[in-house]
Amino acid sequence: MNAPPSLVCRELRLRQFRNFAELDLLFPRPGAAVIGPNGSGKTNLIEALYYLEIFRSFRGAADDQLVRFEGEAFHIRGRFEDPATGREVEVTAAYEKRRRKKVVTVDGAEPERLGDALGRIGVVVFSPSDVAIVAGAPGERRRFLDIVLSLNARGYLGALQRYRHTLRQRNALLRAGAPAAQIDAWTASLVDSGAVIMAERARWVAEHRAAFASRYERIGGEVAARLDYRPSVSGTESPESDFAGALQAELDRLAGRERERGLTLAGPHRDDLGFLRGGEEEGRDLRDFGSGGQQRTAAVSLRLVEAETIRAARGRAPLILLDDIFAELDPGRSRRLLELLEEEPGQAILTAPKASDLEVRHGALPRWRIASGQIVAAA
Amino acid sequence: MGAIDDLTTELARLPGIGRKTALRLTYFLLKRTPEESRRLARAIETVVERVRECSRCGNLTESDPCGLCQDQRRDPRIICVVEDPADIGAIERTGEYRGQYHVLGGHLSPLDGVGPDELNIDALLRRLGGSGGGGQVDELIIATNPSVEGEATALYLQKLVRPQGVRVTRLARGLPVGGDLEYADGVTIAEALSGRREL
Repeated sequence: MNAPPSLVCRELRLRQFRNFAELDLLFPRPGAAVIGPNGSGKTNLIEALYYLEIFRSFRGAADDQLVRFEGEAFHIRGRFEDPATGREVEVTAAYEKRRRKKVVTVDGAEPERLGDALGRIGVVVFSPSDVAIVAGAPGERRRFLDIVLSLNARGYLGALQRYRHTLRQRNALLRAGAPAAQIDAWTASLVDSGAVIMAERARWVAEHRAAFASRYERIGGEVAARLDYRPSVSGTESPESDFAGALQAELDRLAGRERERGLTLAGPHRDDLGFLRGGEEEGRDLRDFGSGGQQRTAAVSLRLVEAETIRAARGRAPLILLDDIFAELDPGRSRRLLELLEEEPGQAILTAPKASDLEVRHGALPRWRIASGQIVAAA
Repeated sequence: MGAIDDLTTELARLPGIGRKTALRLTYFLLKRTPEESRRLARAIETVVERVRECSRCGNLTESDPCGLCQDQRRDPRIICVVEDPADIGAIERTGEYRGQYHVLGGHLSPLDGVGPDELNIDALLRRLGGSGGGGQVDELIIATNPSVEGEATALYLQKLVRPQGVRVTRLARGLPVGGDLEYADGVTIAEALSGRREL
């Protein structure tokens, strides 16, 4: 809990991003609460800030869609300060629609690879759409894992890129009905990179299972829930597994069926996470048997665990973005989440449709009003 | 379409050249003396007529077999397999290698429709074991690129030639000489660590 505070966003400048034609904001160190009706651009503001962390939309929108209607290109610039040292870092991202060209800079220089600029700030977004991680399809859960681990586990992003690339090549061969000798030539790289991904996922779940359970218990005010890694290869749940050996053996076993189906049938692209109820009905999946409130509690708990991951990996607390999350939680859960957020020392920027929802930091954050792409201090 | 458009379109097909640059080149050629531009046209024609693939190793050459294949001083017991003729130049510049070469003409890439049949692999197998002076090769050095495709190609070749009893080696990966460890990228350092050797 004693990690240094987060980088704080001091300045955000948007041009032609979503519904913002021109927006220039100076943020106070503690953060801000942005109040406005639906459709005023609250989530767009959060999206712009998080874009500087992962250089794509956290809502999964294509870059084309982020350019303002009838605009040519968007530009985002953020200036962040380390309150401990006073040092600043400037991150920019721009995307031009016609040439489909994205340019990212950190302190004025373009990084050699986009991957080198990822996760410069350390940010966690809490959003109502997070419930899809718990209640949606397995792809949502893999996406969550991939983002968290790409930003916080060394070697993960490289392995993931290699794995996806190899998977496409291998599937093309399987579809074409190529002989085994050709398929095997790609299997080695699939197994190497796949084993790195599986190992990091298993390790992350094992390390954070207890934290997830306790967050869930505290917010939900009920018995804990359990987080499980569900790999596509059985017997590789524990971080001590022989991932490469097990994946290779599974691919050997499935070789015939893979050729029939024309698809790679085992590997991290078919992994899943399990969220399980405790207490009565212990072990039943929250995805199928959880109430809306329980699913949301699990999603919020997961984001708190993500914040802890960032603290552990980067030695500082994350900046917290809260996109209208209290509307979906009942009063008890909202209150208990607020208490937990007090333990998160980072700058907090939050949005809400009405002023009465704003109790984060005991309602002490400066209040801004947002309407049709403009933001002003509230009277 | 006029002559200017035709030339611009052709130039724009060259790698690294966009429409604007192509247009600039076209006007540049028109500004020079006709003889200078004809010389360029003739050079292109000559290169297309004279240069072809060596029937033995696949290198680009004006004489078949190529100079490298004909060179009696080169060790016929070692063959270095590369993806492209340009890679031969890179290895030759080191002056460290005295064996022979074999050019695959690319790497395996199912997504681009490139399988073993599209690469110069049959000729390699013939050189290794088949008729025509084969059977004297002791070592195959696979120098395909350290990319996903290059690795898959290397592995495919290794399994393919294993029955012939030839020693198969792969170029080592690691830190660039004269570079600072501090500035090397993480993947390269990780490779160099796992491939470290006893002093």
